[in-house]
Amino acid sequence: MEQYNLSNAILVLKCQKRDETAFREIVNRWEPRLYYYIRRIVENENDVWDILQETWLAVFQNIRKLQDPLKFPAWLYRIGHNKAVNLLRKENKYVQITTEQIANHYENNTTISVVKEQAELVHKLLGKLKLAHREIITLYFLEGFSISEMAQIIGISEGTVKSRLYYAKHKLHEALKGANYV
Amino acid sequence: MSEPNSKKEFAENLLAQDPPPADKQQQHKEILFKKLKLRIWRWKIIGGTIYLVLFSAAFWAFQQRRNTDNLVHSICWGAASLHILLWFLIYFLRGIYRLTAEIIEKSSGKDEKQRWKKQDRFITIVAILVFAYASTILYRSFFLNDPLKAAHLAASIFWPTVFFLFWYPFGTASLVAKLWLEYKKMEMNIPRNSGQDSKMQVE
Repeated sequence: MEQYNLSNAILVLKCQKRDETAFREIVNRWEPRLYYYIRRIVENENDVWDILQETWLAVFQNIRKLQDPLKFPAWLYRIGHNKAVNLLRKENKYVQITTEQIANHYENNTTISVVKEQAELVHKLLGKLKLAHREIITLYFLEGFSISEMAQIIGISEGTVKSRLYYAKHKLHEALKGANYV
Repeated sequence: MSEPNSKKEFAENLLAQDPPPADKQQQHKEILFKKLKLRIWRWKIIGGTIYLVLFSAAFWAFQQRRNTDNLVHSICWGAASLHILLWFLIYFLRGIYRLTAEIIEKSSGKDEKQRWKKQDRFITIVAILVFAYASTILYRSFFLNDPLKAAHLAASIFWPTVFFLFWYPFGTASLVAKLWLEYKKMEMNIPRNSGQDSKMQVE
């Protein structure tokens, strides 16, 4: 994993020096993940492709400003999140959940154990969650981001991330239980 | 899910549930890289155009020197052509200096970054003021009657230019030396065994 992060950081450094091949490699490496993530936020597939275009162009334009290459994944997802949310706001489809922000007391203690064979079921269940919860749990499963990283990506407080993650894990746990997987 | 490998496998399986359609992905990449190429070329074209315009202006000023009967004007046009070329060279050297400094910046602390940025801002402001002052002196020398006085005045504008012609290359050299020192420090932190292993592998 460390080796993967290091090769990623080297690619980012090359990109900062405007190396086109390195940028192609980064796009190839990250696009399926970014596609999956944005697809969980935006329903229309054509919109997803537009957001991906805008995201990569923004990445290319601003990559020199990224101080720590190891923070590239969180930075990339943050750009993707902002682009997707901007589109949803334009279409009045983005609703901020404000009531749960007071629920900061939830601890991240609900452990959810899923095996690789359950990916199909988890994928289906993701569609049944609210957008805010779906986004958090996607980031959690896809990249294993820390609470602070997820807070930075979505632009919310760490407490809100914790509570959203708690709800999302709880719902998923219930659903898996219902399907006799737990 | 405690092991990183199983987490990775799960993420891969999750991704496989909704992969991007290959044809659309291909199409998207073609458009994206075309747009990127255009962006890269746009900056190259803008840079090239600025260079050509400045070089042409300097050459035009040099030609003016030949086409005039007035000795004062001849001296001043010659100085003007050199003035444009030298300041463009300073601008180019500043670009190299900044590029090197940006590499160093990534490995240095916050205080060092602040210090470098403050210093660069100060030198840039001084350079702009000096350029403006020298241009005014050159402009005024066109209206003199005595060719000797005009030559003295026109030549005097090159002295402050020399400072910047030294400042940026020496600045770049010191930054490169700093980078080399950082590299040496890093090299010394590497355990001896790993070096021997790699040596043995080569053999």
